[in-house]
Amino acid sequence: MPDTLAIKRISATPSALIPLNSLRSGGPVYSKLVDISKCIGCKGCEVACKEWNDLKVEQTTNFGSFQSHKDLSSNTWLLMRFNEVEVGDDLSWMIKKDACLHCEEPGCLFSCPAPGAIVQYQNGIVDFNQDHCIGCQYCVSGCPFDIPRFDKETKTVAKCNMCIDRVEAGLEPACVKTCPTNAIEWGIKEDMLALADKKLDRLRERGYEHAAIYNPGGVGGTHMMYVVPHGDRLEDYSLPAHPTASPGQLRGLNVLQRVGSYLLGFGVISAFVHFLAVGPESPEESA
Amino acid sequence: MATPLLHRFSFFERIVHWVVGVTFVVLLATGLAFAYPALFWLTTVLGGGAAARALHPQIGSLFGVGMLCMFGLWVRDMFLDGQDRAWLGAIKHYVTHDRDKVPPAGKYNAGQKLFFWVQSLLGIVFIVTGGLLWFPELFGAAWLNTARLLHYAATLGGGLFLIVHVYLGTIAYPGTARGMIEGKVTPAWAKLHHPRWSGDRVDR
Repeated sequence: MPDTLAIKRISATPSALIPLNSLRSGGPVYSKLVDISKCIGCKGCEVACKEWNDLKVEQTTNFGSFQSHKDLSSNTWLLMRFNEVEVGDDLSWMIKKDACLHCEEPGCLFSCPAPGAIVQYQNGIVDFNQDHCIGCQYCVSGCPFDIPRFDKETKTVAKCNMCIDRVEAGLEPACVKTCPTNAIEWGIKEDMLALADKKLDRLRERGYEHAAIYNPGGVGGTHMMYVVPHGDRLEDYSLPAHPTASPGQLRGLNVLQRVGSYLLGFGVISAFVHFLAVGPESPEESA
Repeated sequence: MATPLLHRFSFFERIVHWVVGVTFVVLLATGLAFAYPALFWLTTVLGGGAAARALHPQIGSLFGVGMLCMFGLWVRDMFLDGQDRAWLGAIKHYVTHDRDKVPPAGKYNAGQKLFFWVQSLLGIVFIVTGGLLWFPELFGAAWLNTARLLHYAATLGGGLFLIVHVYLGTIAYPGTARGMIEGKVTPAWAKLHHPRWSGDRVDR
């Protein structure tokens, strides 16, 4: 079935909690698979991302790292992080492709109060619609991976959109297209999981006994997965071990909303009942 | 000859009260829009979602300043005494206008005093959590989510209090709103509601 960009969730609508299910559902569900062991650190993906998405170039500085920028920004949606860590006697780069993971249960979308500012498609892509963004940055605190970045000029938030315009046209995202070692792969999520299993076997044969797939269940799985050689050292990759972004995180808010509706309704009704039962103090008493 | 009126609130007191009142209503409208997707259309009153988001904290600053002024102006009259506690015990009679059974109140009755203290507490919650939410980049996600919960919770209390406050001050007790609009009340009203207080008499 072709990808029709059927919508799954829209922020600040009932579909945020109860995903839409339309006749057009059932199309492909994609995922990126980032094999960290195959990354040679060329940063071609960063350049491809900037070019395809026409993102402003930012002045970089040497801060004693192989890394290009210190952090993501509203104009840098993809950053290869080169964490320098000692493994045994050796120095090792714990490389992380830092960009939106496109969660199955997106914390950004759950926490967004602006209808339509964040949309999740049935194919797994979570996209920000800046036209509807109000700049509150709740998505920033709702994201367990610290990905969305606020743009002080436009007063909106931006992040990787999985090159949705390419995906819609049947192409792979720009970073995948440009990667010279196929460290970033793209395809149907099930196929990518099977591929990840094969990669794990090979890594274990090479002695990476803790090699693991990063597809955290706390966010319902992600549509960018990693094959991590040192799966026992997730924090060294700057990957949270137990990210959560289920709607449960905001359950407190939902309870408050309901209590609040009743409370304010109760206030209005009580005032009205008092008015009918007791009425105003008679004017002559206070005249 | 016209009945002489009593001075209840100075010009400054009234300005401060209405700054807090008007800003709170605007903040409530935009805040409810952010909290309830079904009420998002309320942002239209300030020119759309982005404008409402930009203005909410700025109007909130004005509200915060007003709250602080209000606290400074009125705090010394707001401590409860023995008769206030008796008044609270007889609140049922106050609500049913059963005047003879209500212990005499001073410039403010015990209900108003409690309203003042709860509202001041909510004001602190609004100012602190609002400040956090205004500059989210300075704080971590856990702080912000907590601040958001507290900010919402305070709004519910504040909203309920607003309804009660407006109803009692206008419809339920005629003559009360006049004190906050013109600054003056009739002696009869004062004798009925605040027998232990007699303001600075002014001639009409």
